[in-house]
Amino acid sequence: MTAQPQIELTNIDKHYGSFHALRDINLTIENGQFVALVGPSGCGKSTLLRSLAGLESISGGTMKIAGDVMNGVPPRKRDVAMVFQSYALYPHMSVLDNLTYSLRLKRRPKSEAEAAANEVAATTGLQKLLRRLPRELSGGQRQRVAMGRAIIRHPKAFLFDEPLSNLDAALRVHMRKEIRALHDRLRATSVYVTHDQIEAMTMADHVVVMREGVIEQQGAPLELYDRPANMFVAGFIGSPAMNFVDGTVDGSGTGARLALPDEPSIQIGKRLEPGRKITVGLRPEFLQLASGDEAALHLSVTTVESTGSTTYISSLGEPEIVVVVNGRTDVAAGDKIGLAIAPENVHAFDPETGKAI
Amino acid sequence: MNRVISSFRDGKGFDIALVGAALLFLGIFAGLPLVYNVVMSFQAVDMFSLGTFARPFVGFDNYIAVFSEPIFWPVMRNTVVFVVASIGGQFVIGFGLALFFTLKFPGSTYLRGLFLVSWVMPGLVVGAIWNWILAGDFGVLNFALTGLGIIEDNIFWRSDTAFSLWAVIIANIWLGTSFNMILLSVGLASIPRDLYEAAALDGANGWQRFWTITLPMMRATIGAVISLGLIFTLQQFDLFAAITSGGPANSSNVAQYWAWDFSFRQYDFAKGATISVLMIALVMVASVIYVRSTRHEVRG
Repeated sequence: MTAQPQIELTNIDKHYGSFHALRDINLTIENGQFVALVGPSGCGKSTLLRSLAGLESISGGTMKIAGDVMNGVPPRKRDVAMVFQSYALYPHMSVLDNLTYSLRLKRRPKSEAEAAANEVAATTGLQKLLRRLPRELSGGQRQRVAMGRAIIRHPKAFLFDEPLSNLDAALRVHMRKEIRALHDRLRATSVYVTHDQIEAMTMADHVVVMREGVIEQQGAPLELYDRPANMFVAGFIGSPAMNFVDGTVDGSGTGARLALPDEPSIQIGKRLEPGRKITVGLRPEFLQLASGDEAALHLSVTTVESTGSTTYISSLGEPEIVVVVNGRTDVAAGDKIGLAIAPENVHAFDPETGKAI
Repeated sequence: MNRVISSFRDGKGFDIALVGAALLFLGIFAGLPLVYNVVMSFQAVDMFSLGTFARPFVGFDNYIAVFSEPIFWPVMRNTVVFVVASIGGQFVIGFGLALFFTLKFPGSTYLRGLFLVSWVMPGLVVGAIWNWILAGDFGVLNFALTGLGIIEDNIFWRSDTAFSLWAVIIANIWLGTSFNMILLSVGLASIPRDLYEAAALDGANGWQRFWTITLPMMRATIGAVISLGLIFTLQQFDLFAAITSGGPANSSNVAQYWAWDFSFRQYDFAKGATISVLMIALVMVASVIYVRSTRHEVRG
C-alpha cells in the first residue's frame, strides 16, 4: 500500500439550483480500502459517487484521485470504473464485447483483449456465457458481467451504485459475499453506495453514514454500531432499529428515569448532571428478559413474532419498544415482561441536538 | 347459439372479429386494387375496354413496350436519384436535428413540435411556396446563394434541365425532414442514459459513443425510417405536379409521375399499370427490410 490516499475529498459542495445536495464533504479513502456510503434515499450518497465518476459536476471543494485533482476532468479520463444499479450493459453486444469494450476503445490488439476477457471471465464465472447477449442472461449473470467490465480495466477505483438492489434476497446475500471475496483478492479501492445498512456493515472496511448531504459519521462498521455519534446513526445502523426513550438523569447522576409507564429507573453507565433531560438508546438485542429484582423495567407485550432462530417481542406504545430474543420464548401477547440491560450497553443522547453524550 | 355469443363476448370469437374487420378492409381497399392493377398490366386496355374486366391478355407486351420507351431509362435514373437524394437529405438533416434536440435547452420541446408544421402541410401548398422560393428571377434561394457568393448567376431551378429534378428534391427534403426527426428522436429517447455514462467511464469520447452506442442501438429505428422514407418518396406526386410537372423535357420525370401521365393523361392504362407493378415490387423489398429491421429490435 502506498502512503498516499487513493481518493481524497476536501470540502466538497454540490448545489442543484437552490437545493444543497452535498455539504462540505471530507472523506479520505486509502488505497485498497472498501468504503460504503450508506444513508436513506435522497441523502446524497449517489450524487457523491456520480461526482467521483465525473458524471455530475461539483460546485466547490477539491476532489483528488491518486493524487491528481479531478475537478472538471471528464469521466473517460478519470480511470475509474462504475457498476450501475441497472448494470448498463450494452444490449447490442455479446458478453465478450461488453467486457472488452474499454480495451477496444484503446485499440488494444484483439488477442490481448480476448485473453484479458477470458481471465476476467474465469474470475467471475462467465466462461460459458461469453457469446451470449445481455438479454439472454439472468440477473446475477448480468451483475457479474457488469463487475467483469469494471475489473478488466484495472482502474484506480471501483464505484458501485447500489449494484445488488435489483436482485432477489437470496442472490443478494450471495453476491454480497462474492463482491467482498473479489475485493479481498484484487485489493482494489472500492466505493460502494447502498441504502442497506446490513450490506454496508458486512462488506465495508469503512462505513460513511450520510443524511441530507452531510456525513453524519464515518468509521469502522462495529465502531459505528458501538459508538454512534448521534441518534440518526444510532437508529440507522443495527436491525431492528435502536429503541429511543426520553428520560431524566436521577439524583445519583448514574441512572435515569424513563418516560415509560411506572417511570422505571435504569443505570446509564456514566455520570451526568442530575436532572438533565436525555434520550436513552437501548438496542433491541441488548435488552434481556429478566424477573424479580433484576428487571429494571416492565412492559406489556403487544406482539410476538418468531423466525425460528430469533423472536421479536414488541410493546406498542409511546414510544414503541422492541426486544430481540435469541431462540424461542414462551412470552405471549398480553403478558407483562421484565427487562434488564447492562449499563455499558445504554446509549445517552442530547434530545436537543441528537448528539451522543 | 349461446356458445357463439359467449365466444364472441369473452373468447376467441372477438379476436377473430377484430382481425376479420381489418383483413376485410385491407382486402377491399388495398388487396383488390393491387391484384386488379397487376392483372391490367398483362392486358390490352383501351378506352373501349375500360369498363369490362374481360380484356385480351397480351403477356409481357406492356412490359416490353414500357422498357422500350425512349425515356424509360432516364425516368428510372431520375427516380433513383430522387429517392436516394431525398432520403439521404431527409435522414441526415433529420438525424442531426434529432441529436440537436436531445440537448434539452429551454423551449426545445416546443421548437421540435414546430418542425412538424412542414409535415401537416399539403404537398401542393408546399410546392406552391417552393415555386416562389426557387423562382429564377425573384426567388429567395437565388438571392441567398448569390448574396453568399456561392453562385454568380441566377439558377433557373424549375426550367433548367440540370436543376429541375433537384428543385423537387430540395422541396421534398424540406417536407420529409421533420418526419425523420420525430421518429429518430423517439429512437434516441429510448436509449437509456446510463449506457452513455457507462461508455464514458469506459473511455469513449463523444464520437466513439455515437458510433458504438447510438448507431447500433438505433438500428431498428433507422431501418424503419429509411424504408418508410422509401415508400413516402415513391409516393411523392404532389411536388412534381406543383413544381415541374416532370419537365422540362422529362428531365424531372419519375416513375410515379410517369405512371400517372400514362394512365390519366394519355389514357394508356396498361402502361400506367405496368409501371405501378414495377414500383410495387420495389416497395415490397422496402417493406421486407422494414419488417425485418423492427423484428430484430434490441432492447436491454
